[in-house]
Amino acid sequence: MLMTSLLILIPLAAAVAIIFARVEQAKWIALGGSLVAFVWSLILAIRFDEWGGDGFALEGAVAWLPKFGISIAWGADAVAMMLVLLSTFLMPLCVWGSFTAITSRIKEYYGWLMVLLGAMVGVFLARDLVVFYICFEFTLVPMFFLIAIYGGENRAHASVKFFIYTFTGSLIGLVGLLYIAWRHSVFAGDWSFDIAALTAFAASELTAQEQAWLLLALMAGFAVKIPLFPVHTWLPLAHTEAPTAGSVILAAVLLKLGTYGLYRFVLPMLPDAVIEYAPFIAVLSIIGILYAALICWVQTDIKKLIAYSSVSHLGFCVLGLFALNPLGVQGSVLYMLNHGLSTGALFFLVGMIYERYHTRDMDRMGGLAKKMPIWAFFMVFFVLASVGLPGLNGFVSEFLCLIATFVATPEFTEYPGVLGPWYAAIAGIGMIFAAMYLLIMVGKVVFGPFKEPATEDHHHGEHTLPADLSPREIGVLVPLAVLCIVLGIYPKIATDAMEQNVQTTLAAYPAKVEAMLAARQQSAEDTQASKPAGTGVPTHAFEEPHESLTEMFSPARYESPMPLASTPIALIPAAHLPKGGTP
Amino acid sequence: MTIETTHMMMLANTAAGPGWAGFILWFPLISLALCGLWSILRIKSKLPAWTTVGCLALAFLTTVALYVSYSEPVVIHLFDWFNLHWGSGAKAGSFVANFSLYVDSLTLLWMLFVTGLGTLIALYASEYMEPDVGKGYTRFFAGVSVFLFAMSCLVMGDNLVLLYLGWEGVGFASYWLIGYYYTKPSAVAAAKKAFIMNRIGDLGLALAIWFIWLNFGTVEFADLFAVIASGAYHTEAGGWSISAIPFLLMLGAFGKSAQIPLYVWLPDAMEGPTPVSALIHAATMVTAGVYLLCRMFPVMQLHELALPTVAWIGTSTAILSATIALAQYDIKRIMAYSTVSQLGFMFAGVGVMTTAGAAYHVFTHAFFKAVLFLTCGAIMHGFAGQLDLRKLSGIMRLRGWKVVSVTMLIGCLCLAGFPLTSGYFSKDMILAQAFTSGHSAVGWLLLFTAGLTAYYTFRVWFRVCIGPVHFEPGDEDHGDDHGHDDHGHGDHGHGDGKFHPHAPKWAVNFVLIAITVGAILAAIPYFMPSGEEGVKGGWVASMTLDSSARDGMYGVYAIEEKGKLFGADPYNAMYFVSAAFGLVGILIAWWLHLANRKAADALRAKLLANPLTRWLPTAMENKWYVDEIYHVFVRAPLWVIGHAFALIDRLFVDGLLVNGTGYLPRAVGRMFQPLQNGVLQSYAVLMAGGFALVVVLIVLVMPWLQPILADWMAGTGGAG
Amino acid sequence: MMTADSLHLTMATLEPFSSLELGHFILTSAILFAIGIIGFLTRRNMIVMFLCTELMFQAAAIAMIAFGRFHMDLSGQVFVIFILTVAAAESALALALVVLLFRRKETLNAEAWTELRE
Repeated sequence: MLMTSLLILIPLAAAVAIIFARVEQAKWIALGGSLVAFVWSLILAIRFDEWGGDGFALEGAVAWLPKFGISIAWGADAVAMMLVLLSTFLMPLCVWGSFTAITSRIKEYYGWLMVLLGAMVGVFLARDLVVFYICFEFTLVPMFFLIAIYGGENRAHASVKFFIYTFTGSLIGLVGLLYIAWRHSVFAGDWSFDIAALTAFAASELTAQEQAWLLLALMAGFAVKIPLFPVHTWLPLAHTEAPTAGSVILAAVLLKLGTYGLYRFVLPMLPDAVIEYAPFIAVLSIIGILYAALICWVQTDIKKLIAYSSVSHLGFCVLGLFALNPLGVQGSVLYMLNHGLSTGALFFLVGMIYERYHTRDMDRMGGLAKKMPIWAFFMVFFVLASVGLPGLNGFVSEFLCLIATFVATPEFTEYPGVLGPWYAAIAGIGMIFAAMYLLIMVGKVVFGPFKEPATEDHHHGEHTLPADLSPREIGVLVPLAVLCIVLGIYPKIATDAMEQNVQTTLAAYPAKVEAMLAARQQSAEDTQASKPAGTGVPTHAFEEPHESLTEMFSPARYESPMPLASTPIALIPAAHLPKGGTP
Repeated sequence: MTIETTHMMMLANTAAGPGWAGFILWFPLISLALCGLWSILRIKSKLPAWTTVGCLALAFLTTVALYVSYSEPVVIHLFDWFNLHWGSGAKAGSFVANFSLYVDSLTLLWMLFVTGLGTLIALYASEYMEPDVGKGYTRFFAGVSVFLFAMSCLVMGDNLVLLYLGWEGVGFASYWLIGYYYTKPSAVAAAKKAFIMNRIGDLGLALAIWFIWLNFGTVEFADLFAVIASGAYHTEAGGWSISAIPFLLMLGAFGKSAQIPLYVWLPDAMEGPTPVSALIHAATMVTAGVYLLCRMFPVMQLHELALPTVAWIGTSTAILSATIALAQYDIKRIMAYSTVSQLGFMFAGVGVMTTAGAAYHVFTHAFFKAVLFLTCGAIMHGFAGQLDLRKLSGIMRLRGWKVVSVTMLIGCLCLAGFPLTSGYFSKDMILAQAFTSGHSAVGWLLLFTAGLTAYYTFRVWFRVCIGPVHFEPGDEDHGDDHGHDDHGHGDHGHGDGKFHPHAPKWAVNFVLIAITVGAILAAIPYFMPSGEEGVKGGWVASMTLDSSARDGMYGVYAIEEKGKLFGADPYNAMYFVSAAFGLVGILIAWWLHLANRKAADALRAKLLANPLTRWLPTAMENKWYVDEIYHVFVRAPLWVIGHAFALIDRLFVDGLLVNGTGYLPRAVGRMFQPLQNGVLQSYAVLMAGGFALVVVLIVLVMPWLQPILADWMAGTGGAG
Repeated sequence: MMTADSLHLTMATLEPFSSLELGHFILTSAILFAIGIIGFLTRRNMIVMFLCTELMFQAAAIAMIAFGRFHMDLSGQVFVIFILTVAAAESALALALVVLLFRRKETLNAEAWTELRE
């Protein structure tokens, strides 16, 4: 318990120390605090005995509100541990990378970064729903201030939008999670917010209809965070306005809270609804992939381009999760790490340009390779990682997500799925688009005739940056680059570590998908049989002229449609209702 | 069927190979790492070149050693890459694609010329890139190392995913090296175009890989061949998911090997330094498509229309790009189109089921096209970037240009299919097989293209190398920054009097001679024993026979009724027919471009003057407007959609849906805003009024409402 | 319990008012309250408005005393004592505020102060 808690307490202690420190000490305390946290997380990772297993380690709980079954409970499985490592790994780099960029209200800045680290780690370590939710929402506060105080020109609007949008979404998600907890309390006779207990309960006891509504609620929370099309519009704004370290953390970790939420809650808790609506969510992901990619193409603001590329990339990540087979889920988790590394690095690189020229307008610069060869090298490197060049990390995860989507057909023996070749083929076009917009950006900014934006006269006082990257900046990028290569050529370290875990998460799916497919086939046959023979006009053609999108993509389209308009009270079955109440 | 199956099973039962073979991959990587180190240390000497040449030479020697020790197909496991397992017992599954090498004779054939030519061309580049020492020199050789590594992965990978790694890797290396002169917008654009066009093909390949895994459950060659040979794959997914595979593979191959519809990147790729054009865009990388089809030949036969499609696409590409090459003036560009055209020949060869012919043509083409490109490069280097064949003439008589001219002549003879040259034999195998297997239309079209090839090849040579001495230098001073400005070549000469072309030095000449000797000797394998009764093509055929491409050779002899050409076996008749076509082409070129140069211009003027024929030279000179068509039909619509989406995102998704929802509470608030007027009494009135309202509710309304509410509660509450 | 009972007994022994009933007190209270509220709503002078609020206070106080007496419960009177105390403190504060406000704008008109408007 203490050892795990320390991981959250170290950054918080650093934050407190920063409050009492002198201004010029703040950044060093933050760097030290985040480094200690990183080292501590490494020690925990070495001691962690669930690598390759399917259980939780580093567990511990302290009762908090026993009457409601709320306790401060920590614990991590392999997936959570990887994301913890990603967070703690990136934070020292973010702190280090901010040394020259932040020149006013310095103490607050580093303090908020430390608080943010504590909250992020808390999300991944939480084993209690309430603790999870508190940490989940608490990441918003530091991020809000980071954007609102240190952001660009439109920072006020961006920060408020970021906060309200994601907060609204997660409140709806909270309602869903509370509903599960309440149903569990009715079922078990006692309140509990233990995630494991709730997961086991939800997967087995909730009716299909309840699951469908819960899926909607949870997706509202997590899809906004990811962000999935069409609830993505806060992201480009927030990214564009956020300070560099804010963008990095936002892209690298905060977006992953959404996909982690899908992995931790949606997949194991709501299997029936997931199977039913996976095609629908997959279609949204694919629209997001292509739509955001095409928007990227016409951006002139580099940061906005990379922000939209995040929308596009995270689409692959969600697609992998809903392929419902180990390939896809492992690919998706890997995608979370890889996207964090490569996109985080891209934001660093854009920040370095912004610090020098105070603009991010692609039309105002060109051929920077001439003046900044080291920067250009890293830019091209991380762009290629982002494009998914084999040998670098992006490829492995993208390939796994897509092949998983591709084979997620009913014919796939071990893990029958509800997607299929068409989904992957259309999503694959996103790979071409990614190459297009990123290379066009590189072609404009890095290559071509040299063009430098006129440097504005307000220099940032004491700091004078070298023309090309300083050793500090190179030091920030090199660890990211090294990890990109390592995960690109030896992804086995990650895939092996989560193999069992992913399979346990998906354990319920094959049987359920098969049952669903059998039921669908049965009802199709019934429809066939009950069709009136000999009538010239197909009568059913006029019965249902309007088919909603949900129904169109729902495998249950041949079953009786869900009564969406029924009252909430009618949704609650008696506690002893039989399992999986789909008629 | 039985022979085929046993052969396939032989391919499938692979032993573990020697681990040192991995060094064929590691040497280029070591070279890359060292180049990185040199660039960090800011080495300003030719050290990077010697590092690269040395490492590549070692890789070549390793390949030779592997060839010498080769006896049967082997798999060499290096380390795990994709290695995912799930389930247990009957429900167990896995997705395995390791960093392993699959070595059979086809691999060796390819690797021998890839590493061999790679070494020689790196040596050539060490001199060619001399002006850039200290600037882009290290970057260039790092790119070459990346290319060799990726190409080795492509050819040697034991699974399709590693092949895909190499596939994209060579595309990236090509991007890197085409964009070498990165300040030149045209080079950057060409690099981008190459990468994106390749990506389209790559998507086809990726889809093919996924389909293969979906249907056959493996992406490793050995297992895959075993599954196909056993026929124990399930087809209930609907035949379409299996028959799609060859077509998707084809798409991948067409992207990489510049076939219709994805060929337009290759001519533009000539923006890169000439050694790159020679190595990547002529000799090795572009043949990866042919390699893929040979390697996956059993898979290509999963649909009966797949190979004919390949044949026809190859033929169309060959003839289309040959017609474009007829009308170009930039000699490097002519060579580029001739590469596209020759690749078309190779694909036609695969299509008419002579993988041996295709592979042999790849082999000979690698040599003679490398020679041609390198001579073009030497000329460009010596004449300050001049590549216009109208502005160069008779350079053979200049001092120091003999080697270039003679090697170029030999290269041209090979390309034109002059009797007894290597190109002559390899092309004949394809042409003859087209007739043998009954694709005589393909055969005649290819023969016609061969005539065109001979014409445009010798148009270059007759114009540039012999005839009266005359030259105008280009506008590129090699000592300076490359292509800092992008105006066209040769607009303003430096004047003949002042300009002295600098002839190539020993490294260039040595490499030119070495590769030319290779091009000449490449005819010898044709006469070596093939080990199979009645199979022409000798050593190359036997190398191909031993591999998965054997199916193709088997198919050749399985044809019941062999086609005839003029009543004879096409393999024998073709010696004379193709020689005739080639000689006619050379003669026309001689007449128009050496004996009577004015006639060529007159012919062009005559065609242009006649409104009925004007389109022909115009269209050919403008490359049939294919780039423009793509721009209008693909790029422009996507660009418009991109802008439309950006607008929709800003106005509709964000503006209306998101901000609209955000505006709702504010709008409601604004509705009640007048009540907050700040006047104390109005607040008091509201308070009093509100209180009064509550009183009225309690006193007057509640007594009436209460029974109704009670009823309702009793009705539903009880059920809950 | 004991104290409440004994208290009840003590109060019960007191002589009730002969002719006045609860209704009279309530009426007086209501009239006072009405005067207060009407005055508060119609006048603009802050001091008068303040006086009106005091009227309403006292109306409430009367009602409480009356009910306390009616129910024989001392709580009503306790509350009134509270009200008086609070009213004293509050009037001191309020008059001070009024003086301050007057100094700012040289007027006692309440409508001069509408800064709280949205």
